[in-house]
Amino acid sequence: MPEKFKFAFMPSASCGGCEIAVVDIDEVILKVAELADIVYWPTALDFKDKDLEAIPDGGITVGFFNGAVRNDHDVHHAKQMRRKSQVLVSFGACAQMGGIPSLGNFWTTEELAHRMYDTVPSVVNPDGTRPQLKYDAPEGELTLPRAMDRAYALDQVVDVDYYLPGCPPQVKWIVAAVEAVAKGELPPKGTVIAGTKAVCDECPRERSEEKQVTEFKRIHLVENDPEKCLLEQGIMCCGPATRDGCEAACVVAGQACRGCFGPTDNVNDMGAKLASAIASIVIADTQAEADKILDKLDDPAGYFYRFGLARSMLGVQRGERKDGDE
Amino acid sequence: MADNFEPKIVGLLCTWCAYAGADLAGTSRIKYPPNVRSIRVMCSGRVDPQFVLDAFAHGADGVLVSG
Repeated sequence: MPEKFKFAFMPSASCGGCEIAVVDIDEVILKVAELADIVYWPTALDFKDKDLEAIPDGGITVGFFNGAVRNDHDVHHAKQMRRKSQVLVSFGACAQMGGIPSLGNFWTTEELAHRMYDTVPSVVNPDGTRPQLKYDAPEGELTLPRAMDRAYALDQVVDVDYYLPGCPPQVKWIVAAVEAVAKGELPPKGTVIAGTKAVCDECPRERSEEKQVTEFKRIHLVENDPEKCLLEQGIMCCGPATRDGCEAACVVAGQACRGCFGPTDNVNDMGAKLASAIASIVIADTQAEADKILDKLDDPAGYFYRFGLARSMLGVQRGERKDGDE
Repeated sequence: MADNFEPKIVGLLCTWCAYAGADLAGTSRIKYPPNVRSIRVMCSGRVDPQFVLDAFAHGADGVLVSG
């Protein structure tokens, strides 16, 4: 029998949902176990930092990294995983594009800390106490990781080979990725292992030729027609700019697409693309009318960049991007 | 230095009107400052917000959409 593959799963700034998705592959996990040894998976098994440390460089066949990179400890883990993995897979929306943690990039780290430790209504902190990076406990020195200036996507910190998108990634694409590894039929580097079109292409809801929106409504405040395109009903849906491969799961379940698979190959800034999509369907004769309609669209920046602010151009300093980038 | 600031402006010009206008300025030998880098688009309706963001990200100081 040939030597088994070695898999490792590394959590970072994430909610844990990605790891649940791994367990969600049900009986396929037995096939994975047949195929590979799991050499590091602290969420599911009792692994410690020193266990990862002990793995030689290149000793992991495929490393799966989920979560954004938010503090210096995450950076350390990302670099470690890169060194020790022959193939590094960015697993889930946060690793791919910054995800929910990167929504914090609209503010500075100091502003976030001020909100968190001073002004949240449920916080009582008259002395303005903040967590300290170092504390001398009787048992020895305790340390905390330092939060960086913002959240980063994994590929903004280290080189990434493949991307499994989604919040969380879909079982069928995880299986497809594992099968590709098993057969040794890996796609070109940088491939996003999912569909190549937009969610609208997979969406079973009926669309008319001409979308016309005269009012935006929030999805929980109206009853939506399950047969008709949500956007046409004035419900903001990220389908037009989002990569497919999820079989429009949210839309089928009656929820609008939130864009977790990230932009399609032709889109380099999801928010800009969605702004463009919205601009082409809003029917207004005057600027005032358009403003009135768009005012009803709550928190467009948060909605359009829900999963991808770290990867968007909004986070780019002027002139930072060089020719040849994307 | 502030007095010598020369902005870089990206002009996204519609081929049928604004670009034709820029062309006419050229053939009429009317001078205009070289700060505008014109990019011809087939219609200003073709301009995507991504173009504008991309221009700024590449170092433009201003973006002019004309058409």
